[in-house]
Amino acid sequence: MEFVEKRLMERAKRGDRDAFAELIEIYKDKIFQLAYRMVGNRQEAEDIAQETFLRVYANLQTYDESYKFSTWIYRIATNLCIDRGRKKRPDFSLDEQVEGTEGLDWYSRLSSSDKTPEEKVVTQELQETVQQALDQLAPKYRSIMILRYIEDLSLQEISDVLKLPVSTIKTRIHRGREALRGRLQFR
Amino acid sequence: MECRQANVLIHEYLDGDLDELSNQHLQIHLQGCEACRRKLHEFQLAVVYVQSTSHVHVSADFTARVLAQLPTPTKASQFSKWLRHHPFLAAAAVFLVLMTGSLTASWFETDDTLQVSSSNLDKLKIDKERNVVIVPSDVTIEGDLVVRNGSVEVQGQVQGNVVAIEGKVFKASTAQIAGEAESIEAIFDWIWYEMKNIGNDLLPVTP
Ligand SMILES: [Zn+2]
Repeated sequence: MEFVEKRLMERAKRGDRDAFAELIEIYKDKIFQLAYRMVGNRQEAEDIAQETFLRVYANLQTYDESYKFSTWIYRIATNLCIDRGRKKRPDFSLDEQVEGTEGLDWYSRLSSSDKTPEEKVVTQELQETVQQALDQLAPKYRSIMILRYIEDLSLQEISDVLKLPVSTIKTRIHRGREALRGRLQFR
Repeated sequence: MECRQANVLIHEYLDGDLDELSNQHLQIHLQGCEACRRKLHEFQLAVVYVQSTSHVHVSADFTARVLAQLPTPTKASQFSKWLRHHPFLAAAAVFLVLMTGSLTASWFETDDTLQVSSSNLDKLKIDKERNVVIVPSDVTIEGDLVVRNGSVEVQGQVQGNVVAIEGKVFKASTAQIAGEAESIEAIFDWIWYEMKNIGNDLLPVTP
């Protein structure tokens, strides 16, 4: 995969749009997914994903090839998400007060194996609860939890993306897990 | 072991970082401590929940929309793209040009005016008398700089290749060129240069 991406990058660098289109195809859902889980909104997440690829294109010539392409693009996307969140901070804190009061018994719901007609609704609700729990994390924890558990990056890869030492990533994952456990309110 | 200590080990365990000895200590604590067992289980559940979020997909016309917003490609890149898609035609064209014996005729729009292709045209100085394009010493050019029917004098920095077609590349002592500097003094060489690039693209590079 890395080899294919390298070749595509070199072609794109020389102005080959088909190569760039292939890079978009490989990464669009991954980047959209990251943005969607960061901002919790489709339209905004698409804007961020689009902006990410435009920035990649604008910086093709200065791309440092000692980096993996994936590291580079995740870095651009994560920074865009965090910048976006900073501008919107007041909205988030309002939501927090409302959402924090919910106590949901997810453990028993998940562990019951009978299939109810409301199963779909429950799945939908669970999705929303997880998204809310993520929203309530500070962006520096949220981004790491998403990169680790949704994008499936290793600790080393996350450390490369964020240019932070692995020990810092670990500490934040530990705190992130503590916070999620608290927010999901298991019984 | 205290529960606080066990909690640290639980996180290390979840990161796959726990050594054999600490693992044994943790297992012993967990056997005797219901609260920590629960905690471990809840951490695992929290992770499973996050992992189980459904995969979202971007809208179908996403790629097309991004491509539509890119700046228009330069002539040189359009030409190399054309060649890449028609390598046999390109080879045939070279042959045809040679056969007709008119190297300069009709392959490009042939005039002798100075042509410059760069994404930073505004930063370049052009000396019309000497027919030279100058990259001043305090300037950084992003990407390739291609000049036709003239020479290039590089005093500053170029982050791509510098190509002079029907001209020469002069480097001042202060010049920094990230890519290659090439002078191409005939159309045939120019075609060869493009063909060579296609070759590079098809052959795997040994690391
Ligand atoms: Zn304990």
